[in-house]
Amino acid sequence: VCVSMSNIQLQGMKMSHSFTGKQKTVKHKYCDSGDGLLLSLPRLGSMAAKKLRRAQLSQEMCERLSRYQITTCQDFLCLSLLELMKVTGQSYYEVQKLLCKVSRACAPKMQTAYEMKLRKSVNPSSAFLSTTLHSLDRVLHGGVPCGSLTEITSPPGCGKTQFCIMLSVLATLPVSMGGLDGAVIYIDTESAFSAERLIEIAANSFPTYFDSDEKLLCMTRSIHLYRELTCCSVLKRIMSLEEEIILKKVKLIIIDSVASVVRKEFDTKLQGNLAERSNFLTRGASVLKYLAEEFSIPVWLELASQIKNNSWKLRGTA
Amino acid sequence: TEPASSSGLSAGTQSPRTHAAHADPLTRRQNGSDTRERPRACAEAPPAGFAPGARLAAAGFQTAQELLDTGPCGLSKEIGISREEALEALQVVRQECHGDAARPAGGSGATRKYTALELLEEEQSQGFIITFCSALDNILGGGVQLTKITEICGAPGVGKTQLCMQLAVDVQIPECFGGVAGEAVFIDTEGSFMVDRVVDIAAACVQHCHLIAEAQQEEDHQKALETFSLENILSHIYYFRCRDYTELLAQVYLLPEFLSEHSKVRLVVIDGIAFPFRHDFEDLSLRTRLLNGLAQQLIIIANDHRAAVVLTNQMTTRIGQSQSTLVPALGESWGHAATVRLILHWDNSQRLATLYKSPSQKESTIAYHITSHGFRDVQPPAVTHSTEGTELNPRKRPRAEEEKQQ
Repeated sequence: VCVSMSNIQLQGMKMSHSFTGKQKTVKHKYCDSGDGLLLSLPRLGSMAAKKLRRAQLSQEMCERLSRYQITTCQDFLCLSLLELMKVTGQSYYEVQKLLCKVSRACAPKMQTAYEMKLRKSVNPSSAFLSTTLHSLDRVLHGGVPCGSLTEITSPPGCGKTQFCIMLSVLATLPVSMGGLDGAVIYIDTESAFSAERLIEIAANSFPTYFDSDEKLLCMTRSIHLYRELTCCSVLKRIMSLEEEIILKKVKLIIIDSVASVVRKEFDTKLQGNLAERSNFLTRGASVLKYLAEEFSIPVWLELASQIKNNSWKLRGTA
Repeated sequence: TEPASSSGLSAGTQSPRTHAAHADPLTRRQNGSDTRERPRACAEAPPAGFAPGARLAAAGFQTAQELLDTGPCGLSKEIGISREEALEALQVVRQECHGDAARPAGGSGATRKYTALELLEEEQSQGFIITFCSALDNILGGGVQLTKITEICGAPGVGKTQLCMQLAVDVQIPECFGGVAGEAVFIDTEGSFMVDRVVDIAAACVQHCHLIAEAQQEEDHQKALETFSLENILSHIYYFRCRDYTELLAQVYLLPEFLSEHSKVRLVVIDGIAFPFRHDFEDLSLRTRLLNGLAQQLIIIANDHRAAVVLTNQMTTRIGQSQSTLVPALGESWGHAATVRLILHWDNSQRLATLYKSPSQKESTIAYHITSHGFRDVQPPAVTHSTEGTELNPRKRPRAEEEKQQ
């Protein structure tokens, strides 16, 4: 299934290709990222792509709709009532009932706030990753929260990457020592990750735990590093994370850094780039939020900032 | 012509579902004679005062339907009678035709007539959902209004979700404390709903009500407090997490059914109406169409179920010639969807709220704070109590007590 993707300009070159394969014109714009064309990016964690036949519509209705290229719940719900009446050939009231059926197939489940609270209080220790900086932990009410996105930003040289490396070590520690006892996915866009520094930090912060080389190597084996240098590849990598997380028992995702790769590719002075940039960012953000919530793990985003007029100004994102 | 059976001929003159008032009675007439007979029957046995009967036949009117379609002015010109007489004639014909026919039910459910007086009475008796920031309540005219759509726009971090969570708690305040005693539906598209924060806000609200009850010592206050507990507040916030616009559309389609089952819901919050619509939309006209459809459905929901609908919107940058400004996202046409628009913004380190669009209140800006208890005023409001009415407004406790408690 081809879904519309972000429109990305790579160093001033833009290739666009539009084809009318359906009744509605679908424009696809893609970039050649060097490792093939980025044509289809499946939607993570959403019911939009659910096929209509799984929404308990009758077989003949599904066949009839597929003649108009309406196969997923998303296609169905995007049409107006009149269009639906035309393609289904049903009366107004029948179409309302069909809408309810399809909606029920992809609507989210209801929970009360009370149920959410009960679920959280069942397992309080796994709600935060302590940063071992006590004052910071106090202000954050326990540490880096699991299940949501946390963003760190600062002028260059303040220690963001060091912080990321430190967190990677902490995540691999067992729960009894305040860690998450899991693997780490580290997406590095600036090639700033240094494995030697990682070992140095681990050995010096927890000398009693990392008392042998064997333990250090075991820790490094659970930190998975990905070097991505373009927006396209970062997005592709984020999309592919769902399976990796389950396979490798990942408990922390770090992205270092979002802003550098965005700033390289999107010049906001150029016409239209602002929209594309926010498209890419919100797309990435929604996938990361889904991953964070689904697996209850913290996602740590690092942002660079720039000095402007003597006061540093944040390059805002999601 | 012979009077034919009504089922045979009269059925043929009907066009289904047009002019429900005209079509049905003509089939359901009791005496069952042919409709075409009508004018002649008038001529032969005119009801009292129906003089023009003969003139009608002379002018060539064959069916009652024709008469009713012509209207009083046309009729008066054609047969040369005054307009009032023509109107009277038509009313008589209509009367005869209706007989005992029941008016078709349904269909015209959407056309409710009100006089402005009825609306005024309804509006005055309507409750507001307070925000615990009295300055904000004042510029809104009492709080967030039921049956209206209120939109809250603002940059990230300014307090939109905080305000939504505060409202989800405040809608449940019992009536004796000045609330609407309703439940809340929270539709979250950004994932920024934090249960722990809602617990803090709810605890502060319950505490506030306890202090009022102690100060006033009335029986119904004590009874209300029994049910106004933390568990109850949390159990009556219905939370839906929508990951993209398809799930949001689906949820809004199912919302009327949900609200009919949970009839006490008085607040629907959609936190982040912009987020799912800001990416993945190559076709902006589709986006506009979907947003308009969404707005219409929300208006219907707000009216039918007497609920307040609160939406939060993001800000986007509009690049002008010389400068760029922050404007609410989703475009110009979306600006028409909300009745009341509130813009939250920063001024150095002070948070401000501006009432940008409202049919009844004037545009103004106030400052607010977000404390550990939730949404609050910047400085204590004037110690003198409100002068409306003789009794103390139960919501407005003297600020001194809260400071003591803090």
